[in-house]
Formats: sequence, structure tokens, C-alpha cells
Amino acid sequence: MSHGEGSDAPSDAVLVRRAREGDEAALGALVRRHMDAVYRVALSIARDPDLAQDIAQDAFLKAIRALDGFRGDAAFRTWLLTITANAARGSLRRWGRRRETDLDSAPPLATEEKGPDEQAELSAESARAREALDALPEKQRLSIQLRVDEGLSFREIGDIIGSSEGAARVNYFHGIRKLRESMQ
Amino acid sequence: MNEPRCETVQERLPDLLAGTVSHDEARPLHLHLESCDECREVRDLLALLSSARPTAPARLADRVETAVRSRRGSVTRPWWGLAAAAVAALALGIGVSSDVRGVPEVPAYVAEAEVSSPWLSDDGIIAGAPALGDLSEEALMTLLDEMGAGPSGGAA
Repeated sequence: MSHGEGSDAPSDAVLVRRAREGDEAALGALVRRHMDAVYRVALSIARDPDLAQDIAQDAFLKAIRALDGFRGDAAFRTWLLTITANAARGSLRRWGRRRETDLDSAPPLATEEKGPDEQAELSAESARAREALDALPEKQRLSIQLRVDEGLSFREIGDIIGSSEGAARVNYFHGIRKLRESMQ
Repeated sequence: MNEPRCETVQERLPDLLAGTVSHDEARPLHLHLESCDECREVRDLLALLSSARPTAPARLADRVETAVRSRRGSVTRPWWGLAAAAVAALALGIGVSSDVRGVPEVPAYVAEAEVSSPWLSDDGIIAGAPALGDLSEEALMTLLDEMGAGPSGGAA
């Protein structure tokens, strides 16, 4: 899925070029365009909405600082989400808050940022599916999330989770199988 | 046309749900789904996940934009910053090479400092930036001449 292509909105490549030239509006457009994806990756790894916000901010700052070095070999979004995943893992290491062993107390992701009205509209099944996703090991969770929520290819997912394309695919299918089991 | 395998269909389901699959690509996937309980179950599961994906708090984009602008502003050097760096580099280069005949060379450490950080201090006042910022272009050229590095080639 490409951003901005085929529509009136400028593509990421155009916004990146403008941002490098000091165009603050382009920088703001990049932040707003990718904010949800960055936040979701941060939240998926950190499992804490407040920490995820800090990580999202940190990731954007790191990306902006490194923008001149972005060669464009990968899509901007993949590059940004890789920075986000690394920032999230770094943050967890610093805080000593690796939560893989603390899943039972982790709040369900889908309910964290929803207001009462939205939450009421959210079906119980959707919330249950999201909770089941949250309970998966990190790489399986991210593989499914990046494929479903962000529409990324397995190659891009592999880049982000630090695995090969094949491993990302395997993580996706293992995760799907576990999700089906937990939803039955 | 061969019917796709379950694995292929399940790989493509997120794209099918997002509507990013072409009509020609979608047709065999839909045909497969009509006859495959497992793939339909996975499709419904992924649709559930997709319908409940979290979104960033509305205020977060504002917060990040503010932080980005603030950080960017602090690292963006105005024109007088570059001018001061050039003056410093020229002055140091001339000073070191004044007892050497021929074309003066900028010492390696000056060039290195120029690449990494042209300021000797993060503080613009300590670095002399405001003083240079107040100078007109003519005054700046005069200063360069007085330092022996002006257009007249004072280093020779």
C-alpha cells in the first residue's frame, strides 16, 4: 500500500524531499500520515499506552534527525517503523520492562485508546480477537499486525522485526493458527 | 486458472480486506473462499482484528510535531552560523600555516570539526554568532580583509 500515490496527496518521497529542504508543513504531514502506524507498533511492543506515546515521539525525532541519511532503498514507512520498533525495544531495555512474562496483567490493546462511545460500538468479538493477538509472542504479533493493520509485505515485515522474509511469513501463519485456536 | 492454495489465499487476505487487490487477482481468491471453511474463518478473524485496530490519541500528533519543530529549530543553523564557521576555519587555517610557504591548507581537525559540528560551542553567544549576525555584508567583508582572508587574498 503506498501513501499518496494515485491521489492528490503528495507521496512520501515528495514529502521527505520537501522536509529535507526545511519545509515544516511537509514534516508535519509525514508525522500525521504515519502517526497511527508508529503508535501501533510502539504499543504492540511496549504494551503500555503512555510509554507507546513516548516511544512514538522518540521514533519520529530519531527519524527526522536521520532524514538526510535516508537513502530511499526502502519505503519511508518501513524505514520509520523499523526505527520505531528499535526505539521501542531500546526503551523497554532501558526501563527493564520487558513484558513477555507479564501478559496476564497487560491491558487489552484494543480498548486502551477508545472512548466509552467507541468502546460500546466495538463488538465483543473484535475486542476478543485483539486480546488474543496481544497474547501472542512479539514476532508473531507484529507479523500479523503489520500485515493486517499496515498492509506490509513479508519482506518489509522481516526488516522491521529483524527476521528474514521467510521467517516473517512463518510467524504470520503460526500466529494465525494460535489465534484461531484461542478464538474457538 | 489454477485454484490458489489456502496458504496463498491467507497471505493475500489482508490485501483483499483492505481492497488493494485488483479485480483479476480477487476473483480466484473469492472463488476459493466460497468453498473453503478454513480460509473463510481466517478471513473473518482478520476482519475482526482490522475493525478494532488501535489509533493514536489525537493529541499525540500535535505533541510530536511540536517536539520535532523544536528539535529541528535547535539544530538548524542560520546563515550567520555558517559565516562564523567559515571565518573560524579560515582564521585557524591561516594561523597554522602562516609559516609555511605556498597555499595555506585547512588543518584536518578544522575540516573534521566543520563536518561534524562547525560550532565550538552549542551556545550561540559563546560562539560569537549574535555579534556576526549584527554585521552587514560589507562589514563582514571588511572583517575578513582585516583578518587577512578577504577576497584580496591576504594570506599570500
